[in-house]
Amino acid sequence: MNNREWATSLLHPLVAVLVGLLAGAFAIWVVGASVIETYAEMWKGAFGSFYFATNTLTRATPIMLAGLGVALAFRAGFFNLGAEGQMVLGAVAAALTALYLPGPGWLKLAAALFAGFLVGGLWSAVAGWLDAAFKLNLLITTLLMNYIAILFAGYLVTEPFKDTTGSAAIAQTPMIDRAAWLPKLFSGMSLHAGFLIAAVAALLLYIIIRHSAFGYEVRMFGYNPSFAAYGGIVRTRVMLISMLASGGLAGLAGTVEVLGMQYRYIDGALTVPGYAWTGLMACLLANSHPLGTALASLLLAALQTGAMGVERNTEVPLEIASVIQAVLILFVSAKFSYSFWKRRKARESHGTTV
Amino acid sequence: MEQLFDISLLNSTVRMVTPILLAALGGALCARVGLFNVGLEGLVLIGAFAAIVGNHFTGSLLLAILLAVLCVVLFSLLFAYMAINLKANEIVVGIALNFLAVGLTTFALRTIFEVKGAFYDKNMDGLPSLTLPLIDQIPVVGPIVSGHSPLVYFTFLLVVLMHIYLFKTVSGFRLLATGENPIAAQSMGVKVRRVQYLAVVLCGVFCGLAGAQLSLGQVTMFAEGMTAGRGFIALVAMMLGQSNPSGVMAASLLFGFMDALSIRLQGFSIPTHFTLMLPYVMTIVAMFLFRDKSYLQLAQRGGGSDR
Repeated sequence: MNNREWATSLLHPLVAVLVGLLAGAFAIWVVGASVIETYAEMWKGAFGSFYFATNTLTRATPIMLAGLGVALAFRAGFFNLGAEGQMVLGAVAAALTALYLPGPGWLKLAAALFAGFLVGGLWSAVAGWLDAAFKLNLLITTLLMNYIAILFAGYLVTEPFKDTTGSAAIAQTPMIDRAAWLPKLFSGMSLHAGFLIAAVAALLLYIIIRHSAFGYEVRMFGYNPSFAAYGGIVRTRVMLISMLASGGLAGLAGTVEVLGMQYRYIDGALTVPGYAWTGLMACLLANSHPLGTALASLLLAALQTGAMGVERNTEVPLEIASVIQAVLILFVSAKFSYSFWKRRKARESHGTTV
Repeated sequence: MEQLFDISLLNSTVRMVTPILLAALGGALCARVGLFNVGLEGLVLIGAFAAIVGNHFTGSLLLAILLAVLCVVLFSLLFAYMAINLKANEIVVGIALNFLAVGLTTFALRTIFEVKGAFYDKNMDGLPSLTLPLIDQIPVVGPIVSGHSPLVYFTFLLVVLMHIYLFKTVSGFRLLATGENPIAAQSMGVKVRRVQYLAVVLCGVFCGLAGAQLSLGQVTMFAEGMTAGRGFIALVAMMLGQSNPSGVMAASLLFGFMDALSIRLQGFSIPTHFTLMLPYVMTIVAMFLFRDKSYLQLAQRGGGSDR
């Protein structure tokens, strides 16, 4: 990529962010608060001190992993909208593994990370298999499987694996043994080793997509499925593997949140903050580029933690963040164009290509 | 709760099916002009919220429904502009629209009503239920068909109207032609963009009504994300019904029945998580059972995965 391409690929997301912030300014103005003051509070809430900055990184961790998962699937041309369900199932599997597997702490931790990846990946691969074998629309099945996964995880922690020692009102598993926790990076701060896992995952995914044979297959498939098939790439194989890895990353997102932050699976603790959907937004914002997705995750996480600061110190509610995000994504989507989408549009348009 | 299947279950099916059917009909119109509208979920959510706002501030149900329709039409125009004029990928625009709907409704819920999660006002009136004079007297059919909100009856009337419009009128034929082959349609003098806009705006009207029925017909409240995937289920109903009004109705009735059954089953000793899962599981099962070539083409054109 030369400098000019770099500049244009960066320019569009930046303009989108600006438009989002303008829309946010309008919403703040409608509420009747001071725009500058509100955005100043937002900055302080996100990066105002070392404590707040690490908080932002902590929040970015699951968003980043979920976003990377979505990015991988999008790269291959598969609309995996099931990151939320995959994340929740991965999280619950990791929590149960860490709770019930006998052995030393490091083994529990490793097994839990693996279980989270595997369960999230398998759940996602089921949707891939339904598409590959029975041609069920992947977009719809992944969406519907979210509801099933969330309800199933909710059932697990309200009935068989419910924590009976604490308050009966909260549906959650018992606390995981301290030895199996992901270590904190700084004492007294919320940032945990999951962030490093996410950062490594972003780098790895970047390298795999750009420099490996499988990454080449994925990209080929995303660009032009018929050409890829002609070149001997088996659709089912690419689909199953990329969906497995995609769901696995989403599962890992839930896993690091459980092992590094909450130390148990709490019903709703992953779905209410909307980590998976924010990850999807990050992926859209970065046009499915792995490193870009990581950066966009940081940005969106900063918006959210910043909005919490806004809620604490001004009259503006924290939901302002979701308005800004949505406008930003809407703006990005207007020019969201992969070559395979361009190709489809060219086929559909009323021009000369048909 | 001693009996699982009875007349009131079918009665609530008719009530539950309405938002799904309305949204699915709207989606079918969009699909017929070649636009796969994933934003149904968000459009219905906006309609549900706008209906509550209208009802709260005007006290008039008619104005509430009008406001819902107006707001949703505005948002579908946004969808139309992005998808038709800017040629953005309609799936991504649809997803973005869903985000926008969730973001705006939660933000507005906080700023207008100053509550979190759900808004409920006991002084607010829901849509009245109509008792049909003569039909009411028929033994089994009466209790099923009678006693619904006007929107429910309107919806079923709409299925008939849409069938006539699509397959018996010139304008309807033009709409179908636009979806079948835009270039051919254009060469015959059909204003393709105008027809596409018409379909999207009508879809907005339907989704606005669906939202009003959801928040004023079934309950009289608004809760964050109260559509709970019904917009996506409507998409499946649209695909199973092959964007054919009667087919869409049949598929929607199935999903409405599952919705009603899932609520009914809560009285039994089955964990609520599983009864709540039922509509989603059955939707996937229905996709599996009723898969055939013609709707696949639509699904493939629409996306999910590009092959």
